[in-house]
Amino acid sequence: MAGPLTTAPPVVALLAVSVAIAFLPRRVGHALGVVTSAAALAWAWAVPGGAFLRTTFLGFDAVLLNVDPFSRLMGVIFGIIGVAAVLYSHASEAESVQTAFAYSYVATSFGAVFAGDWLTLLFFWELMAVTSTLLVWHHRGKAVRAGYRYAVFHGIGGTLLMAAILQNYAIKGTFLFGSVPGGPETAGIAPGLPAALAAVGIGVNVGFIGLHTWLPDTYPRPHVAASVFLCVFTTKTGVYGMYRAFPDGHVAIAYMGGGMAVFGATFALFQNDMRRLLSYHIQSQVGYMIAGVGIGTALSQAGAFAHVFNHILYKGLLFMTAGVVVYRTGEENLKKLGGLARQMPITAGAFGVAALSIAGFPGFNGFVSKGIVIDGAHYTFAKGPLPIYEWTTLEWLLLLGGVGTFMSFIKFGYYAFFRGEYDGDVADANRGQSVAMVGVAVLCVFYGLSDGSLFALLPFDVTDEAVVEHVYHTYTVPHVVEGVLLGVIGLVAFALAKKPLSKLGRVPDIDTLLNPAVFYGTRGLVVGLTELYAAADRATVGGTRTFVNSVTNPDTVYEGVVGGDSSNPLRAGIGLSILVLAVFVTAVLLLLA
Amino acid sequence: MIDHLPVLLVVVPVLGATVPLVASLYTDRAGWGVAAATMLVHAVLAALLAQQVRTGGVVSYAVGGFALPYGIELVVDGLSLAVVALVSAISLGVLAYAGQAGPHENSFYSQFLLLVAGLTGMTVTGDVFNLYVFLEITGLAAYGLVASGREASAAVAALKYLIIGTVGASLYLLGVGYALAATGTLNMADLSTKLAAAGYDSTLVLTAFGLMVGGLSVKVALFPLHTWQPDAYAHSPDSVSAFISALVSTVSAYALARLLFSVFTVEFLTAVPAARWALVAVASVSIVAGSALAVSQSNVQRMLAYSSVSQLGLVIAGFAVATPIAVLGATVHLVGHAVMKGGLFAASGIIERETGATTVGGYAGMGSRTPLAAGSFAVLALGMVGVPPAIGFVGKWYILVGAIEAGLWPVVAVLLLSTLLTLAYFARLGERLYFAEATIRDEGAVADGGEHTDGGTTVSTGMLAVVVLAAVLAVALTAAVPALEQLLTDTLPPLLQ
Repeated sequence: MAGPLTTAPPVVALLAVSVAIAFLPRRVGHALGVVTSAAALAWAWAVPGGAFLRTTFLGFDAVLLNVDPFSRLMGVIFGIIGVAAVLYSHASEAESVQTAFAYSYVATSFGAVFAGDWLTLLFFWELMAVTSTLLVWHHRGKAVRAGYRYAVFHGIGGTLLMAAILQNYAIKGTFLFGSVPGGPETAGIAPGLPAALAAVGIGVNVGFIGLHTWLPDTYPRPHVAASVFLCVFTTKTGVYGMYRAFPDGHVAIAYMGGGMAVFGATFALFQNDMRRLLSYHIQSQVGYMIAGVGIGTALSQAGAFAHVFNHILYKGLLFMTAGVVVYRTGEENLKKLGGLARQMPITAGAFGVAALSIAGFPGFNGFVSKGIVIDGAHYTFAKGPLPIYEWTTLEWLLLLGGVGTFMSFIKFGYYAFFRGEYDGDVADANRGQSVAMVGVAVLCVFYGLSDGSLFALLPFDVTDEAVVEHVYHTYTVPHVVEGVLLGVIGLVAFALAKKPLSKLGRVPDIDTLLNPAVFYGTRGLVVGLTELYAAADRATVGGTRTFVNSVTNPDTVYEGVVGGDSSNPLRAGIGLSILVLAVFVTAVLLLLA
Repeated sequence: MIDHLPVLLVVVPVLGATVPLVASLYTDRAGWGVAAATMLVHAVLAALLAQQVRTGGVVSYAVGGFALPYGIELVVDGLSLAVVALVSAISLGVLAYAGQAGPHENSFYSQFLLLVAGLTGMTVTGDVFNLYVFLEITGLAAYGLVASGREASAAVAALKYLIIGTVGASLYLLGVGYALAATGTLNMADLSTKLAAAGYDSTLVLTAFGLMVGGLSVKVALFPLHTWQPDAYAHSPDSVSAFISALVSTVSAYALARLLFSVFTVEFLTAVPAARWALVAVASVSIVAGSALAVSQSNVQRMLAYSSVSQLGLVIAGFAVATPIAVLGATVHLVGHAVMKGGLFAASGIIERETGATTVGGYAGMGSRTPLAAGSFAVLALGMVGVPPAIGFVGKWYILVGAIEAGLWPVVAVLLLSTLLTLAYFARLGERLYFAEATIRDEGAVADGGEHTDGGTTVSTGMLAVVVLAAVLAVALTAAVPALEQLLTDTLPPLLQ
């Protein structure tokens, strides 16, 4: 069953390409990036399913290439967006080195979703954090500090996930996924503490409420083309990882997903920075996916992955349109824009398609996949503590998130493209940007109208009674009414809320608490240690000086002591060191005796 | 001659050490050549010995033909062979570096060879008193080398090192005395059986353990006994800091492992849980405190020194866990850390020569000004953090797996935490090197380089080659891990049961 397509994992070739992009001329490098992304797309489509490249890594079984419907779907969509994003990078004057970092980020994402065991997944998971941090850092300026916070967040998340994986290993004796031949009997992370650690560790990546602050903090800061890459890979690989860890779902994760959908959409409404608004919507949309994974039925998981697929399309497109606006006007703030629709028709059109898709308007792809998840919450999930009318608790949370999404995109569109007139001349997107945007926009509409093409990609056939608990039909009267109604409610609500919203200043998110807490906590630890040492040092420094003077030439050494020691409170003198040694050995002897 | 390999390994550098002193009568620049020739012979001998151990198993040698256990025994097994090879290789590397970087005096190379003799002796000896002798030779040579720096602070650092090191060695000697009183022998193999016969709960045995381990902990520089180390590393010449940071603590940690496994044995650790817990606790505290102190440093070389406190804590933790896989991990990390830390010090020396940068702030934007050295520095730093596939990852990983197998969850937590902290301080450096605007003007290097009157500010191909080679080795050594594992399982059966 191993053939030419399975001789090496795709990450190897893609990493080589990313190195080449850094050194080739800009145009050639980007062309190569587009071609290899397309090749990766074709590969993901054509590669046979199964577990390949079994090997032992440090004495543990590892599967470097594992193809099943889930990883195939991730590979296909990563390939599609890779083509568009590299093209967009080239058109947006991204430096070769930046695109090379971005491409290595793409490559490691491929490595992560085609891994067949936790060890390999974790390896690429960490590499993704490294490459994406480099991508953020490359923009310099404000992006550096945000990138550092991003790195710390993902370092902590990765470590928690590692702890979960190690405990899982201690329980099961293997790192392999349950679906891989030779893997453990039960798939996923063992319940109890390992599962909790895994949920929080992966929760950092998908932006659980409270762990999400890196998202709106980081994504608005780097180069506009870098944002297009960033908005795609980390969170979606997180959703994929969440499914691998919890293949049967978990009720707490489902409700966290519902909470994220509402929380993200609400905070998005308060934002005026375009890319910050979009970043909160990542959290909100990932909430739908996490809800789908958490519900844990075939229908909802198919919906979650359908939403991953669609979300990557329209969110990539949204960041592209926002990027074009920034690129052409140099302005990030919605309040300072307006009336761009007349001058930038292509961008405005692409934005319209993407906004209707993300909001789930009938005829666009978001409508299809959001509908599956909501159906999953309706038909295959418990009513929960607060059912309203016929809606289960999770279902109305998700619907509420939908209203918030409509509102914030009406806001975005109104302020950027329709309100008033833009003073001055602005060119529309250039040719490369237009091709990338229109291409993705066409896909958004295509998968919205031809829902069967989308269903064909999903891991579970949602139209087959034998596979799913409740057969899904996209275009039924209640569904369409629901979609249109959400839009109408969103429009009315925005009209009512426009005034109060525009008066609202910056609404604090929990990072106003979290960042200082982490900063002062770490600082306190270091200062505490330093001060402890300094206190001990001060007490003995006098004795040390006399001691040193009495045994060596006082003239030269004295200078050294005064010049060296007093400038650095961390240094312990000789006397103190001997005292510590004596106390130490005494303590050890007392302990042993 | 082939039968006398173990003793020749020690004798050759001792003899070599005398030559530069005599040569001083005629020329003051003979040292480097003599040292290089001696070390080449040393390397050949080490290679021959490796062949012998691989084909014939453990090599035992009775010095002067006196009957064991009364005579001095030299023993070479897989563990000591790995360290001997390391000493030989790193010494050659440091010589290549010192050829341009200096110091150039004959006396420096005499001390250098003496240090090699002491380190080799500590590695191959099978006798606890003989170990003390070599410990002192190593110590004295190292004190002298640290003092060879030009600044007054080097003299202070050397003095501090001398006093603390000597007290530590004396404590070790005291412990040897207790062991002798308990058993009447000094031979390691003999001691291991007689200590068991004397009873592991006997006060004499426990006191001997406490004093010997305490004394060696000073030499390994575990927190809080590390205070000599940052000064010694930061104030000595670059060649010296690269050399002693790579080898002195490493070989002391090896000696500690040798004590644990060949003298007191794993049974002792099992019989006296307090001893194991004490070691684990000291190592864990060392790991965390060393990293935390490293984070708070602004001087790069001091940061590297504190990082050694943390990393050697990791090695000792691995040895204290004492499962086969953890011991393998500790050995891998012992060797890997030596290569990486030596390379880091050498790279920081080159960066200082080329740009004048010595602090974290000064490193800003230097990545493009000294691409090779900075690139190697970054690779070595990543290896130290434990990014696969570098050797640093393999060592940490095996220690981690060993700790999990043994159910020592506090160690697991400390290991994970230390990886984060290591990432914190090396990421800061990496970010400065490559993603920050330079704070030092281009001419800074010339203005600041005056203190290197010996080597000037020039950087030779040899120096760069050493640093690049260390970076390559930091990754390539991963491939040698299976061979090392085979060697350890073949020659240390009682240890790795």
